Amino acid sequence: MPAQTNSPTAPEVGTATLSVRGLTKRYGDRTVLDGLDFDVGAGEVVSVLGANGSGKSTALRCVVGLVRPEGGSITVAGRTVTPGVPLSEVAMVFQRIHLVPRRSVLDNVCAGALGRLPLAQSWATWAFPQDLREEAMACLDRVGLADRAHDRAGRLSGGQQQRVAIARALCQRARVLLADEPVSALDPAAAESVMRLLHSLATEDRIAVAAVLHQPDLARRYSDRVVGLAEGRLEFALPAEELGDHRIDELYAADYRAEGAAL
Amino acid sequence: MTTTGITTGGAGRLPVPPRPRRIAAVGSAVVLIVLMVVAHAVAWRETEFSVGALADGWRGMVEFLGEAIPPDLSDTTLERGLGACVVTLAIGLLGTTFSIPFSLVLALLGSRTTSRSPVVYQAARFVMSFFRAVPDIVFALIFVTAVGLGPFAGVLALICHNTGVMGKLWSEAMEEIDEGPVEALRTAGASSVQIASHVVLPSAAPQFVGLLLYRFDVNVRSSLVLGLVGAGGIGFLINKSIQLFRFDEMMTYIVMILALIVAVDVLSGKIRHRLSDA
Repeated sequence: MPAQTNSPTAPEVGTATLSVRGLTKRYGDRTVLDGLDFDVGAGEVVSVLGANGSGKSTALRCVVGLVRPEGGSITVAGRTVTPGVPLSEVAMVFQRIHLVPRRSVLDNVCAGALGRLPLAQSWATWAFPQDLREEAMACLDRVGLADRAHDRAGRLSGGQQQRVAIARALCQRARVLLADEPVSALDPAAAESVMRLLHSLATEDRIAVAAVLHQPDLARRYSDRVVGLAEGRLEFALPAEELGDHRIDELYAADYRAEGAAL
Repeated sequence: MTTTGITTGGAGRLPVPPRPRRIAAVGSAVVLIVLMVVAHAVAWRETEFSVGALADGWRGMVEFLGEAIPPDLSDTTLERGLGACVVTLAIGLLGTTFSIPFSLVLALLGSRTTSRSPVVYQAARFVMSFFRAVPDIVFALIFVTAVGLGPFAGVLALICHNTGVMGKLWSEAMEEIDEGPVEALRTAGASSVQIASHVVLPSAAPQFVGLLLYRFDVNVRSSLVLGLVGAGGIGFLINKSIQLFRFDEMMTYIVMILALIVAVDVLSGKIRHRLSDA
């Protein structure tokens, strides 16, 4: 991980690639994912677009182990994901950020490493080993917030908190970063800085980034490829610069109908 | 409900569509009210509730108060009362503090946020409701037979009862926290114990301390009642002075315990208020 080494340009050992094939998920008799396929390569940002209920979030939640899919396969860097079991290589950031507001920024970042720590080193924050704290500081520095390490997470602005959440994902040593509407709750300036950060994590640190977005404009500017979902299936996968307005209009037609607005 | 009624300016008028299932709601409300009235009528008869008896008894109360006032302010009574106040406070303090570990374990096992196994969850809930359902005074009577009359029996009784109550209150406080960070750390591969330690407990900490102070407040009052059944403290002195018809002495003790309870109440209220602001 570049955050912990002195040479951030050092080549990765292997390539972290997320590969999803034939993913299916039903809630009762409602099919949310209907044989979804998509890939995210190391070093690229893939934006996931789609109307409400098209299965974007569910797809990410399946990859990260929060939702158990009924069928299909998920591979991360060659390893097959067991349904419903989180994999340390995959981290997720959320629209509502989900830091512990009363804990310090540094403690929140350290918590990303909980999955690889024995209980003796993680039963309380003061049991965290020194090298973990230093690794977490490097992750914070990577997102530009090393000077806020001892502030309470809840005191930071929304955009800063989202960057701390991304630092937590770095501290998890994730090679695939999933972002579920990471900027929907942020003001435009904060949204830009978070998207710029996600983009640089892909290009500089070779992380595979997949982000559910509701802003086609951000998707065009900050991602390499765009995948469109409709009714749980892949509608299109395009290089970002080829994403035309008609594609977006078709994709969100269901939402316009539901809101009673003319297209 | 077609084109009629649109006569005034602005957006005009539309008939209000009928609310669904209204008659059923009114019907069940009527049934509920009738049941409540019947329950209160039965309770009135069973408790021999009588305003007349209260009015007729005023002479007895005046006599009682006449003997109680002025209170006995002699040095020995004050000294004895003060010592007993300290004991009452001490019973409440130890009873609260020593129940913390038991409450914490039961709360963690019996909270949906932290408990993964439904069997353990139900078992912890059952243990907590048992200790909550048995009144502290019953525990006190049991422990008096084990360790004899005195404050120690009171402490043991409070530990038992408070474990049940505080465990339940704490487990509910944990269930009310924001689930988001729990989910976030689960995706990072954190175990249930790690999630409890790094998300649930820090998130619920202010509520925990507030509830702890509230229980201390209640337990000091309970320890007064426990004294009446022989568990030491000022309750014990009040009971003794009633048996000896020393109502002036009793009055002194009551005024003292009143001051103590008000002081504890005000203090814990102030701290809790601060906490909720923070």
